[in-house]
Amino acid sequence: MAKHTVHDGDLLELEQAIYARWLSFGVHVGFSALVVSFLVYLTRLLPPGVRPEDLPGYWGLPVAQYVKATGAPTGWSWLRRLGEGDLLNFVGFAILASTTLLCYLRMLPVFLGTRQRVLATICIAEIVVLVAAASGMVFPHP
Amino acid sequence: MRLLTRAAAAAAALAPAFAHAAATAPSLPWWGWPILLFVTTFLMGIVAVVGGIGGGVLFVPIVGGFFPFHLDFVRSAGLLLALCGSLASGPGLLRSGLANLRLAMPLALTGSVGGIAGALIGLALPTRVVQVALGTTVLLIALLMWWTRHSRQESAHEADRWAIALGLYGRYHDPAVGHDVHWKVHRTGWGLVTFFGIGMVGGLFGLGAGWANVPTLTLLMGIPLKLALGTSGLAISIINTSAAWVYMNNGALLPILHVPSILGVMLGARVGVRMLKRISSATAHRIVIAALVVAGLRALTQGLGF
Repeated sequence: MAKHTVHDGDLLELEQAIYARWLSFGVHVGFSALVVSFLVYLTRLLPPGVRPEDLPGYWGLPVAQYVKATGAPTGWSWLRRLGEGDLLNFVGFAILASTTLLCYLRMLPVFLGTRQRVLATICIAEIVVLVAAASGMVFPHP
Repeated sequence: MRLLTRAAAAAAALAPAFAHAAATAPSLPWWGWPILLFVTTFLMGIVAVVGGIGGGVLFVPIVGGFFPFHLDFVRSAGLLLALCGSLASGPGLLRSGLANLRLAMPLALTGSVGGIAGALIGLALPTRVVQVALGTTVLLIALLMWWTRHSRQESAHEADRWAIALGLYGRYHDPAVGHDVHWKVHRTGWGLVTFFGIGMVGGLFGLGAGWANVPTLTLLMGIPLKLALGTSGLAISIINTSAAWVYMNNGALLPILHVPSILGVMLGARVGVRMLKRISSATAHRIVIAALVVAGLRALTQGLGF
């Protein structure tokens, strides 16, 4: 406890400011992408993979059956189909869901540079968990 | 004051009512659903803020119980709307010092692992089993909120060994009292285990986690309420990310459900913040508990086939 000094407080403030800046950037980009892509979807500027008027026939199905019936993408395969209005919405969600990972990647050199080994280890462990979840490789999808 | 209280109570009552109207509408065109969803989630956003909980805990049982979308999509939307809300509030909380990154990181790590496990289990279980479990869990949450409504917090007198090793102590400035508040953590090991469980329940049901994070941080770990509220939001933004990816990678993303819900809850939350100053916490607590009981019973009866 004696190690807790004013210097630690300044360092924490700096860490929080960096994390907040990256978080704020990711949130703004993600929300903007989400709103724009949803407007594109509703106005049909791009043809949707599944037409909205057909959706009531599918949205009550469990996700595995929905994917089978509509050919909806799993994993990152939506990246190859960004010309479809409904799948364009995935961009905004992907950015928002990647923001935390980006923040952690930014914080890692900060923790390593200030020799905060415990926090750096936690940071690396969280990055591994998030990458595993996002990649879909460790936890297979249909 | 009375008018606002009544408005919040009406919002709580109207959210399931709107949803019920949606469920019984015989031939609603496809575009009617996102509009109804937006109105319902807007009301939910008001109630969630006034009641001091995340939107996800109300969203999943109400939309899952009264709307035609499959629970897989609803749980995914619940996680993502809780994620969006916590991401949006994160920068402000961090800059003000009311969320603590060092405190959130170890707890969010065990929560993230639990979230992935919960999401995988949730997607593998039959829908009816998930509905029964969801209904039971939501009713238990209501019970927990009722029991802990008068709980007195015991601040940590001494940080334990884990807390010292992880650097879980410090101070923050509380503008309401005008001075710095020093804090420490005890029962850190139990806190880490509990966050794993909270993450798992969140991933399984898409509930978000504020309802459990805050009591764990305050009652179990001895953290001051304001810091607990802020840090809980930051932890949710990390924990829900991992579980949300599992749902997204499985294809459980319906823009027509997800986007209006997120926009509705977030706009409702803004209105709720304005009402927050004028409504007593006891009233807000009762409103949320009532909404949870209605939604929990609905999920339970659906799962049991009544």
